Amino acid sequence: MEIELQEIRDFIATIPPFDRLPKDVLDILTSALSIQYVRRGGNIPMEKDSAPTLYILRQGAISLYSGKDNLMGMLGEGDVCTSFCAAEVMPDFYVKATEDTLLYSIPCDTLPRLVEDDQSVLHFIRHSAAQRLKEAVSNMQEQSSSNLLHTYAGDICRGELITASPDTSIRDSARLMSEHGVSSLILLDGDEPVGLVTDRDIRKRCVAAGLAISSPISKIMTRKITSLNAGESLFDALLVMTREQVHHLPVFDDRGLKGIITTTDIMRQEGLSAVHLSSTIRKAPSLEALAEASKMLPRIQLQLTNMGADLRHVGFAVTAVTGAITRRLIALAEADLGPAPVPYAWIAAGSQARREQTSHSDQDNGLIISDKMQPGDDEWFESLARFVNNGLDACGYVYCPGDVMASNPKWRQPVSVWQDYFERWIEQPEPVALMLSSIFFDLRVIHGKEKLLKKIRKHTLRKTPGSQLFLAHMTRNALTHRPPLGFFRDFVLVHDGQHDDTLDLKHSGLVPIIDMARIYALAEGLYEIGTEDRLRAAAGTPSLSKGGSANLLDAFEFISNLRLEHQATQIREGESPDNFMPPKQLSKLEREHLKDAFKVVQTMQATLEMRYHTDRI
Amino acid sequence: MLSWLFNLETKRKRLLDIAPAGPLRNYLESPFPDKNSCLYDTAVLALDFETSGLDANNDHLLSIGCIELRQNRIILDTARHQIIHSKRDISGENISIHHITHDQVAQGQTLAKAVESILRQLQGKVLLAHHAAVEIGFLQQACKTLYGVAPVFPAIDTMQLARRRLERQQQPYKANQLRLFNLRKQYGLPAYQAHNALMDAIATAELFLAQLAHGNYRKPPPLKNFLLHP
Repeated sequence: MEIELQEIRDFIATIPPFDRLPKDVLDILTSALSIQYVRRGGNIPMEKDSAPTLYILRQGAISLYSGKDNLMGMLGEGDVCTSFCAAEVMPDFYVKATEDTLLYSIPCDTLPRLVEDDQSVLHFIRHSAAQRLKEAVSNMQEQSSSNLLHTYAGDICRGELITASPDTSIRDSARLMSEHGVSSLILLDGDEPVGLVTDRDIRKRCVAAGLAISSPISKIMTRKITSLNAGESLFDALLVMTREQVHHLPVFDDRGLKGIITTTDIMRQEGLSAVHLSSTIRKAPSLEALAEASKMLPRIQLQLTNMGADLRHVGFAVTAVTGAITRRLIALAEADLGPAPVPYAWIAAGSQARREQTSHSDQDNGLIISDKMQPGDDEWFESLARFVNNGLDACGYVYCPGDVMASNPKWRQPVSVWQDYFERWIEQPEPVALMLSSIFFDLRVIHGKEKLLKKIRKHTLRKTPGSQLFLAHMTRNALTHRPPLGFFRDFVLVHDGQHDDTLDLKHSGLVPIIDMARIYALAEGLYEIGTEDRLRAAAGTPSLSKGGSANLLDAFEFISNLRLEHQATQIREGESPDNFMPPKQLSKLEREHLKDAFKVVQTMQATLEMRYHTDRI
Repeated sequence: MLSWLFNLETKRKRLLDIAPAGPLRNYLESPFPDKNSCLYDTAVLALDFETSGLDANNDHLLSIGCIELRQNRIILDTARHQIIHSKRDISGENISIHHITHDQVAQGQTLAKAVESILRQLQGKVLLAHHAAVEIGFLQQACKTLYGVAPVFPAIDTMQLARRRLERQQQPYKANQLRLFNLRKQYGLPAYQAHNALMDAIATAELFLAQLAHGNYRKPPPLKNFLLHP
């Protein structure tokens, strides 16, 4: 390649999958390109019967259609079009330039030779969306296995910092430490940390050495403080602790002393933090204490994400904490109200039931009460429901906007009424009513008698597999959330060329998969509640092929991990976590993988649509 | 105009008689592309010269960039760039414009080798340049110096095509509008950072493709519609 072509090579070098290629291979690739200009409205390829070709957009935009005016995607500057790489293209597929477009094209048959059989490039060109997604997910899993490397000292150090002046007596210092339940104390002269003292120092340098406990703490403190930067990883912390033979490390950030991390903190990183929080919650004496403890939840989610945990782990941990808070609230209420008049079950619906909660989501709950319930008993249950619903709201689980809460009399009913509800939903399905009630097909008992829900579920799952109209309505509702077509420049391409500024990872990514998994489970009468469990259990049944299941699992994992990372960034920056991702924050590669995930979801939605003939209801 | 086109091929034959054996004669031995043939089937070589000034008699060539167009495609594999070795002192001012250093010049090709190579590549092709008078003028001057004969070149000038288009639409225009950079912008072509003879030749070739795409031809147009006439 002539060195003067560098500008073209540098452009190619930023585009996946070519971004991984070494310079000399990029040089060869650049020389093999040819440049074409397509006027707005012009066809791509420009010539009929052209050989399989890969296109790279240098400038302009193209639209991909299947059948007349059915837009499948749009590509802009720096996007790669692989649609014409296959020898045979779908008969009704066509591509048009939507802007004046400058294209780089390269014949596919020369590619393997040019890229020296680089597998990632060939993979990108030859494989389907589902295959590429699978690769991406397994790469992601590999990367996330080293946890201490990806957790930062600043993220886990204790926020509450216990300090004292160096003049404080050893006795008062020890008292202060016991009061706050800490094993170390930082001694400050004004704002300046001048020393550190630990339990061990008091034991060795004072008690064992026979030093008077009225002596100032400065006599036994360690003056040379070994510290850590907030941006250093726990792996660094572990190295420093091992090297310096210390168990406590003060952590500093730009603003000064941020906190302290201990060896215990590092051990806690092995996933024990959620367990630890749950035990704090179990002991919380009041609603205030509970609300305080619940503030830890985003931090736990952040820690787990930094450790490389996926949705399964985070969802379990977060849901466990929500469950613990709910149970503690119920215990506090029962302590006040006295025992329940009849047996009951406090049920969670939606993401809490599926154990897929992240951070603080809306609350969705209800009460199933024993049929032995007497008139007048409801007063007790109403008080319980109000207390728990208000308590959850105070703990950051805001009231359900759809009023799916135990405080709503409709969702606080005896078994027989719940049974009727389900029967009506299944046997006389009405689209609107079903839309609201679909979350009741994901239920889990949080507290109380499991048996009460079990009876209802058994009954329900016996009926759903044969109820075609019910399943058709469920399907039609599920199809209201469609994944976007892809990305176009810094927009999310929704449909008909419409753009969104942000990508709603929940509603356009996860919800369609969650909804489909529910339908497979109901169609096959499966007891599983979690989305991944449902997809696995339904694999190989008439409702879902093994391949379809594997593809949806990959898509679900990819999108949920992206959401976890997005929320971790938000938590780290002190924002409240949400599901909205601006496309600008996505790397080119993530966009490619997301597009593949969307494609998988689209395919499966189309299959479901055909199966239940949703167009005929 | 047609008589001039006719003359071009006649001139080639006449020049062939007087050209000394060597690169120029070789160039003139191949017939020029048929003016009635389809433009898309014509071999085109986009050419750009960096020079020390605009006067072909007194200024000299610093570098040459060229690239081929076939069937409405720019073929990057054919891209060539040459820096020309010169014994003459090049003024500091122009060095900064063209980003060519004295060292590069010292390592460059001799004018004779560079012209020989460009004539070989132009053989049987149409020359494409933006404001082609400069490229043609310098090439003729170099041939005159080297071989004692100044040849003719069938050429397409993207600047002239742009001017003709504006005049046809009876639009008033400023000279500035006809600059390569501004015309490219008008056609939505990228603004290249690098300004070397090769990227400028590519920039010219892309502009030409854009001009063709915007030409609204109902059927493939013949070469003669595009040829530069003085």
